[in-house]
Amino acid sequence: MSMSDNISTILASGIRLSLPLAFAACGEYLAERAGTLNISIEGMMLGAAFASIATASMTGSASVGLLAGAVVGLLIGVVHGNLSHRIEINTFVVGLVINALVLGLTSYLITISEFDTHQVAQVGIPVLRDIPIVGEALFVGRWPAFLILAIVPLTWWLVERSRWGLELRAVGENAQAADVTGIKVNKRRRQALMWCGVLAGLGGAYLAVGEVGSFNQNMTAGRGYLVIAAVIFGAWRLKRTLVGCALFGLADAMRLALPALGVTLNSQLLIVAPYLLALLTMLLFAAQHREPRSLGQPFERGTA
Amino acid sequence: MTLTERTEQPAGTRRPALRLRGIRKAYGPVVACDAVDLTVHTGEIHGLLGENGAGKSTLMKILLGLVPRDDGLILHHGRPVAIASPHEAMALGLGMVHQHFSLIGPLTVWENVILGDSGRIDRAEACAQVETIGKRYGLPVDPTTRVDRLSAGERQRVELIKCLRRDPSVLILDEPTSVLTQAESAELFTVLRRLVQTEERAVILISHKLAEITTATDRVTVLRRGRVVFEARTRQTSPQELARQMVGREVSLRAEGAALGLGALPVDGPEGTAAAEPATAPDPAVPATPTTTSEPAALRLRDVTVTVGGITVLDQLNLDVRAGEIVGLYGVEGNGQATLGDLLCGLVVPAAGTVELAGAPVDLTRPGALHRAGLGIVPEDRHRSGVVLDMSVAENLAMKSLGDVSGRMLLSRRKMHAVAQRLAAEFNIVTPSMDTPVRSLSGGNQQRVVLAREMSANPAVLVAAQPTRGLDVGAIEDMYQRLNRAAADGVAVLLISTELEEVMALASRIAVISAGRITGVLPTREATAERLGMLVGGVTG
Repeated sequence: MSMSDNISTILASGIRLSLPLAFAACGEYLAERAGTLNISIEGMMLGAAFASIATASMTGSASVGLLAGAVVGLLIGVVHGNLSHRIEINTFVVGLVINALVLGLTSYLITISEFDTHQVAQVGIPVLRDIPIVGEALFVGRWPAFLILAIVPLTWWLVERSRWGLELRAVGENAQAADVTGIKVNKRRRQALMWCGVLAGLGGAYLAVGEVGSFNQNMTAGRGYLVIAAVIFGAWRLKRTLVGCALFGLADAMRLALPALGVTLNSQLLIVAPYLLALLTMLLFAAQHREPRSLGQPFERGTA
Repeated sequence: MTLTERTEQPAGTRRPALRLRGIRKAYGPVVACDAVDLTVHTGEIHGLLGENGAGKSTLMKILLGLVPRDDGLILHHGRPVAIASPHEAMALGLGMVHQHFSLIGPLTVWENVILGDSGRIDRAEACAQVETIGKRYGLPVDPTTRVDRLSAGERQRVELIKCLRRDPSVLILDEPTSVLTQAESAELFTVLRRLVQTEERAVILISHKLAEITTATDRVTVLRRGRVVFEARTRQTSPQELARQMVGREVSLRAEGAALGLGALPVDGPEGTAAAEPATAPDPAVPATPTTTSEPAALRLRDVTVTVGGITVLDQLNLDVRAGEIVGLYGVEGNGQATLGDLLCGLVVPAAGTVELAGAPVDLTRPGALHRAGLGIVPEDRHRSGVVLDMSVAENLAMKSLGDVSGRMLLSRRKMHAVAQRLAAEFNIVTPSMDTPVRSLSGGNQQRVVLAREMSANPAVLVAAQPTRGLDVGAIEDMYQRLNRAAADGVAVLLISTELEEVMALASRIAVISAGRITGVLPTREATAERLGMLVGGVTG
């Protein structure tokens, strides 16, 4: 294999591995701008991954599986939203419990069921796919991959330009003031979590029916947490958050590619590489305090 | 109800924009509003006067739909209304400018202004509206600036524009001048007057500053302990009468009067005769400037420089406070006072310079070093750095001297309670029990908890940063007496305040801070409005 082939392969695999993160990151970004540090994104992704394979296996359609993944993500978002932004249970506790529950439940269900392998169709854009080095990486992929091209601008528009997004930002920055202005703080946060659930679900489902074609125990393996790290890395700006996702994806791709390139490193050690990178980048960028000021703070009427 | 009806005068052609009848609200056993009646007419500025905890805020929250009422009737232009949500209040045309601004810092002015609307966002139109309203009422502000880059005065303009854009029939302002300079306050009242005179609006002005109420309002209602105790046309009453009604007893109008904004500002008369007047009656409790200058100052700040985020907030600041004197640090808000307060709390480490207590420099990098060196502080923001709101009164009182209330390993609750009981009695802290969380105490009592704790350590230096902000008259009076007594007992007192009357009434020397530097120190009796004004403006000399 030539050098350019190697680069091309790593790039392509890096992008494929970034995509689940990117979908979920759009959701997490939006939820965090509304003031929820959504821990349960891991559970959303894992639950969706399982649901997509299970549904695909039952219906025979990977695309329906993808949809089912988004629905499961949404459901988890609804549950999380109501627990933490209606009856006001600590959002971190809710998130951790959901993650543990989803991990346990999917691990159990996978042992008692048999699923076929299902993968959505691959598409390539003619001509462009023949561009050397980047062509394969950017213009060939499972079809849901191209959804990201719509979801990123949509998320940006929603947050920065729509009234809903303006209200979300207000809620995330200063929940009390937003309440005084007449915005339903907890309702907006629940809605943000639901949107986050749909996108995280898409991300998890894409991982399962898009890239892998099957489900295995704990297949997200902390990718949800990486997404949270990406939002912090991105200092709560969408563009930089996506750069973070790409970085983590590439780190993951290197892990897979290095043995093939003849570099022998302890594979267990390599698994930690993206997480190590996440930790390092957060250390480097920790000084930029741009987080929404009400992030992680529950809102209750009349406590101020 | 009877009171309202009795005092309700033939209002000519004016009709009531808003009538409240028998409004009642209780939080558990505490009755915040008890059968409150209030009538506000279109075309008038209605003053709502009362101490903290008198029920003003609760009443307004009810009006705005933020808090449900237990009982009572609200008539809006004669029609009964429910007001179950902020939305409904807004739809009725009830707008409020909040005491602590309800603006969202990271958003721009125009974004803040349209927050709470519905429908598509039209940035160009929003900006145009901000500018049009700004022009019409004399409230200039750039719509595209982020709100957290604006000064307090500008933020208030944004709040006003935000309210006025919704064309409110009743505009409520809650302590609007607490963060404004005098010039800004005067400007605000001009705008309000224009509002009620030329447009069909009513304004409710909530304040505890009598001077404001008497100069700016047409009618005034006084609340005390949740009840309406007095209502009159403003020009038919007097500040003394209002003060008496508000407190429920005769206020000794000296230092306390200053707190209420009654104290005459030093006027630069010919030869400064008038100027000398307010300072010629030094409180007997305030000792003259100590004559012995040979001993080191109890508190000395030497060339203190603090930079925050690249901005020099304190710039080689020098200040001495000697034992037994009160030095007033006066200046317009935002000139480094808050940082100085943080520094003396031990929250900020200076880039250069030293803080010396009794001649010995204090290592500010060690937490609690200032406290151990004998400095007590009543911080500006008591919620942030004065008390732990969710801990009990006893715990808050013992917090800085846990050694005194512990055995070898464990905290002794008995000792802690004994100490707390003693301090509560000594400092008149009104609390249901020593185990009550500080959060549920009134502002004045929270402040007493802070003061009691700091004084119980027998400090050599007491720093009081904006100690009376947000307190009611009774609590202010109490605070003044205690500061005077501390000075009389030989404590060096540094009073950081933006209230000129307060500084004039208490301090024997006034240091003026401007842009992080002390621009001048004057004995109070030589402080005239003109000299202070020059120093405040940064003109040294």
